[in-house]
Amino acid sequence: MRTGDGRYDAVVVGGGHNGLVAAAYLGMAGRRVLILERRDHAGGIAATAEMAPGVRGPYLLHTVGRLRASVGRDLALESHGLRLIRPDVRVFAPNPDGGGVTLWADPGRTADELRSRSADDARAYPEFDRKVRSISSFVARLDAITPPDLKSPTLADAFHGLGLGRAFRKLGARAGRETLRALPMPVADLVGETFERDDLQAAIASRAVLFTAMGPWTAGTAAVLMADSAGNDGGAAGQTVFAQGGPGALADALVAAARNAGAEIRTGAEVTRVTTRDGRATGVVLASGEEIAARAVVSGVDPKQTLLRFLDPQELGPTLVWRASNIRTPGCTAKVNLALAEVPRFGGTDDPERLRARIVIAPGVDYVERAADAAKYRRMSTEPFLEATIPTLADPSLAPNGGHVMSVLVQFAPYRLRDGATWDAEREGLGDLVLKTLETYAPGLSNIVTARHVLTPLDLERDLGLTGGHPLHAEPGLDQFFAWRPLLGFARYRMPVDGLYLCGSGAHPGGGITGAPGQNAAREILADLKARRLR
Amino acid sequence: MGKRYDVVVVGGGHNGLTAAAYLAKAGLSTLVLERRHVVGGAAVTEEIVPGYQFSVASYVVSLLRPEIIRELNLPAHGLEVLPFDGSFTPLGDRYLWVTNDPGRTYHELRKFSVNDAEAWHEFGFLTTEIIRFIKPILAMVPPDPGRFDPREWLPLGALAKAFRGLPTELQAAFVQIMTMSAVDFLEQWFESDPIIGAIASNGIIGTFLGVRSPGTAYVMLHHFMGEVDGSFGAWGIPRGGTGGVSEAIASSARSLGAELRTEAPVARIDVRGDRAVGVTLESGEEIEAGVVLSNADARRTYLGLLDSGVLPADFAEDVGRYKYRGSSGKVNLALDGLPNFTCLPGPGEHLRGAIGFASSVDEMETAYDDSKYGRFSRRPFIDMMIPTLVDASMAPPGKHVMSCFVQWAPYHLAGGAVWDSAMRDAFGEAVIDVIEESAPNIRDIIVGKQVLTPLDIEETFGLTEGNIFQGELTLEQLFFNRPVPGWARYRTPIKNLWLCGSATHPGGGIMGAPGKIAAMQVLRSARRTRGRAA
Repeated sequence: MRTGDGRYDAVVVGGGHNGLVAAAYLGMAGRRVLILERRDHAGGIAATAEMAPGVRGPYLLHTVGRLRASVGRDLALESHGLRLIRPDVRVFAPNPDGGGVTLWADPGRTADELRSRSADDARAYPEFDRKVRSISSFVARLDAITPPDLKSPTLADAFHGLGLGRAFRKLGARAGRETLRALPMPVADLVGETFERDDLQAAIASRAVLFTAMGPWTAGTAAVLMADSAGNDGGAAGQTVFAQGGPGALADALVAAARNAGAEIRTGAEVTRVTTRDGRATGVVLASGEEIAARAVVSGVDPKQTLLRFLDPQELGPTLVWRASNIRTPGCTAKVNLALAEVPRFGGTDDPERLRARIVIAPGVDYVERAADAAKYRRMSTEPFLEATIPTLADPSLAPNGGHVMSVLVQFAPYRLRDGATWDAEREGLGDLVLKTLETYAPGLSNIVTARHVLTPLDLERDLGLTGGHPLHAEPGLDQFFAWRPLLGFARYRMPVDGLYLCGSGAHPGGGITGAPGQNAAREILADLKARRLR
Repeated sequence: MGKRYDVVVVGGGHNGLTAAAYLAKAGLSTLVLERRHVVGGAAVTEEIVPGYQFSVASYVVSLLRPEIIRELNLPAHGLEVLPFDGSFTPLGDRYLWVTNDPGRTYHELRKFSVNDAEAWHEFGFLTTEIIRFIKPILAMVPPDPGRFDPREWLPLGALAKAFRGLPTELQAAFVQIMTMSAVDFLEQWFESDPIIGAIASNGIIGTFLGVRSPGTAYVMLHHFMGEVDGSFGAWGIPRGGTGGVSEAIASSARSLGAELRTEAPVARIDVRGDRAVGVTLESGEEIEAGVVLSNADARRTYLGLLDSGVLPADFAEDVGRYKYRGSSGKVNLALDGLPNFTCLPGPGEHLRGAIGFASSVDEMETAYDDSKYGRFSRRPFIDMMIPTLVDASMAPPGKHVMSCFVQWAPYHLAGGAVWDSAMRDAFGEAVIDVIEESAPNIRDIIVGKQVLTPLDIEETFGLTEGNIFQGELTLEQLFFNRPVPGWARYRTPIKNLWLCGSATHPGGGIMGAPGKIAAMQVLRSARRTRGRAA
C-alpha cells in the first residue's frame, strides 16, 4: 500500500514515545512512515542519561508502569529488548521524624502494616484500593476511545457511547454514582474522607499532583489519580515499574519496533513548519530548508507548538490562534539526578527493599498544598514535594562499579519565577534545596553524592521542546480533559488543518509514558487513510 | 395530638415559604414551622441597632426566579427590587468602576487597559449566550446516574441536543465555565490584574475556594445568571432589605391558605415504618402530616431531625461526608455618615453599587490561602453595600447602614482556636482595617456594629458549619450529586419526606428554585399515588 508518487503516507514530527508508537502502528499497517527527531536520539521524555562516567539513570521520568499493555503486546516490545522490573513495593513515604508509610503491591500487606498505627486506616485501605480500581477501570475505557464529535456525533461515537454506558452500568449503581462524584473532587477530600492519618493521605494523594501545577485541594485532582491508575495495576498505590537499563531502554525498544514495522527515523532533523495547500497539510519543512511531502503530518509535539509554531496563523484564523494560545501549560516540574557512592540511609527504614519504591517526600497533605501555593505566586517552595527513586537497587546494571543513582522529581518549580528571577541563575540553588530537603529524611545523603545534575523547567523546554517545560504537554485539569483536550472540537487527533494530526500527550488521554495518545491517533489516521480522506 | 395537615414544612426560609405557597396554591393544607421569631431564614431584615434595619445575612437579590415572582404574584405582596448600578473597587489612589452603562464602563476600563475595554463587550456577549444555554438546568430535576429510567434523562437529552447546536466556541466556553478557575477563565479575555480580580471575586462568594481554584468560574457565572425586572445580570436591593423578599413570599403563601408559625422549633421528624408521618416540636407538640418538607440542610434534616437508625447506613455515611465548610462572615455597620474614599472623595454614584475590596488577584489568593490552613484572612475580601443609598427607609434620616460580606472566615479554625467573642472581635477589626485603608473615616462614623462569624451563622440560622448555600457549590456537590448521589430528586429514603432548600439542586442564593421544584415534585408524586389508588 505505497503511494505511487513516492510520498510518505505519514511524517511524524518528533520522535517522543508517542510519535514512535504512532509510527509503529502506521508501519505495521503497511504505511510508509518517516519520523523526524530534532535531537540526536529518539524517545523524548523516556531517556536514560549518563550521570557520571559509567553511571546511568533516568533523565526525567523514572518509572514506565503506565505503558498501555496493548501497546507493549502489539509492538512486541519484549522481543525488542524491553525488560520490566516490578518491585513488590510501590511507595515509601518517610516522615521527617523517622518512620513512614509504605504502600506495597499487595494491598493486604499495606493494610497489615497500617494496622499498628491506625486500625481504621488498615480497614479502609483495601476498600479504597478496590474503589480506585473500579473507577480507574472505567477511566481506562474512556481513555481507549476517540472522544466523540460534539457537533455531529458519528456512528462510531454512538457505539462508543453505548459501550461506555454498559461499562458504567456494570460498575453497579452505587459505584457508578461514586465514580461521577469522585472524578471532579480534590484528591485531598477523596483521601481525607477515607483515612485518618495525614501521612497516609499524602502518600496516596501526592501522586495526583505530580507533574501538575495543582495542589491536592484542587478540584479534579482525583481524576488525575484515577487516570494514573487506569489501564495498569496501580490501584491506590500507583505503579512502580522500572525498565532495565533505564527509561531509555523503553525508547530503544520502541525505536526497534518502529523500524521493524518499516518506519524510517531521521534524527537531527528539526521541523520548523508544516506546509499546507488549500487548507490541507502537505508535508513539513526542516530547519535545513529541506521539504518533505506526506499525505499526513502527525505531530508528537505539544499542541501549542503544533498549532502556533508549525502553522501559518492565516491558516488557523484569529479565533483558533486565540484558543490555542490559551491552552494551559504551567510547567512546574524540575529534576535532580544524583550519582551516589552508596545506598542512602533513610531514617524511616533500615530495609533496602523499601527503597526500591517511589520514595515520596510528602509528609502531609498540607505540606504538598503549601508547596503548590508557592508556585501560584511564581516562587519555589522552600519545602518542595519530591518523588525519588534509586533504580540501581532494582537494576544494578545502571552502575556497574557498585555506585548508585538517585532520580529526584521536584514538584512545584514554576516555569516563570517572580521578580525577574531566572532559572539559569537559580539552577544550582534548586539542587541545594533538594539536597537539603532530602537530608531531613536521609541524613548524610549530601556526603555520598558524587555527581549532580539539575534540570529546571526551562531546561526541559530547551532540551525536550516542551512548551512551558510542561512534561504532560498541557495541564491535566478538568478543563483540558477528554473531548476538550487539547481543545474542544479538536480532541479527535485531527487538527484544524486537514491532514494534520496530534499524537502526543497534549491529546486525549493525556501525558505520561502510556503510548495511549499515539495508539489512539494511529487508529484515526489509518481510518482516514483507508477511507481515502487523505490525498 | 394536634391538627393534621397535608404538608408540614420544616423551616421558613425563602425556599420553604416558596414551597408552601405552591403547595397551598394546589389546595393542600400547609403549615410552615419556623424556629425563630421571624420567617425568611437567611433572607431576613432585623433591627439590630435601634432605628437601623439590617439585611442581617443575605443582602442582595438577582437570582429570584421571575416565574416565581409572577406565579406567586409577589409584587402585589410588597416585593419591590431596587436595582443598583455598578461595582466600585478602590485600588489605593486609583479605582475601578464598572456600571451598567457600556460607554461609561469602556471609558473606565480604558484607564487600565485598552484591550480589556475592548474585550468587555465580547465577554459580556459570551456570558449572556452561555447563561441562555445553562438557565434551563436551573429548572430541571436532576436524573439519577445510578438508575436508567429514560424519563429522568429526557430533559438532559434536550439539553445535549441544544449543546450540539451551539457554535464550537460557545461549547468550549461552556465546558471551561464548568471546569476552570475564575482567573484562568478571565485571563483569556483580560490582561489587567485589577479587572480580572474584580470580576473573579464573583466566583468566591460563599465558597471555600480561591479565585484560582477550578470550579470558581461556575460560581462566578452563577452570580451573573440573575435579573432584576428583566435586566439580565443585574442585582438589586429589595425594599425593606432581603427580609422584604421573605415577607412577600410569606404574605403570598398566607393568602393562598398556608399557615405560618414562628417560634415553633421542630425537634424531630416522626417516622412510622418507612414513612414520615409528621413532626414533634421542641415543646412536645406533635403535628401529623401527610408530607413533610424540610427546608433545613441535608445534615440537619437527616442526622439532626431523624432518629438514628432510621436511615440506611451507607446513605447516612454519604450525608456525613457532604462538604459544608462555611467560609463567609458578615459585618453589618450602623453609620452616622458615609465612608469617604481617598481615591474618589465625597458622596456620589460610586457608593450606590457594590463596593469590592479586591486589590489584586494574588492578594485575594493569599487571603484564601490563610483560610485554607484554618485562620481567617488577615486581609479579607469584602463585598460591601450601603443599602440606605438605594432605600433610605432602612435607617433614620441622614444615617446609613452598611453591609460587608466577607471571605474567608473558615468555620474550622486550626491549632485549637475557636470562634469565641475575642476571635469574633479580631475578625471584625480585620475587616474594618481593610476598609479603613481606602476610607480612612470609617471608624469615626460607626455607631453600631454586628459581626457574624460562620459559627454565628450556624447558630442563628441553623446552617451547618455556617455554609450560606447549605453545602459547598463544588462540582461534586452539584446537580445529581446534590446533596447525596442518587437522592438529588428532592425525595429522600424516607417516604413522604422531601427536601426543599438550597441543599438541593440548583443550590444557594435567593432563588426560590429548589422550593418550587420540590413542591412540584411532591404534587406530581401525590397525583401519581392518587392515580394508582383510583
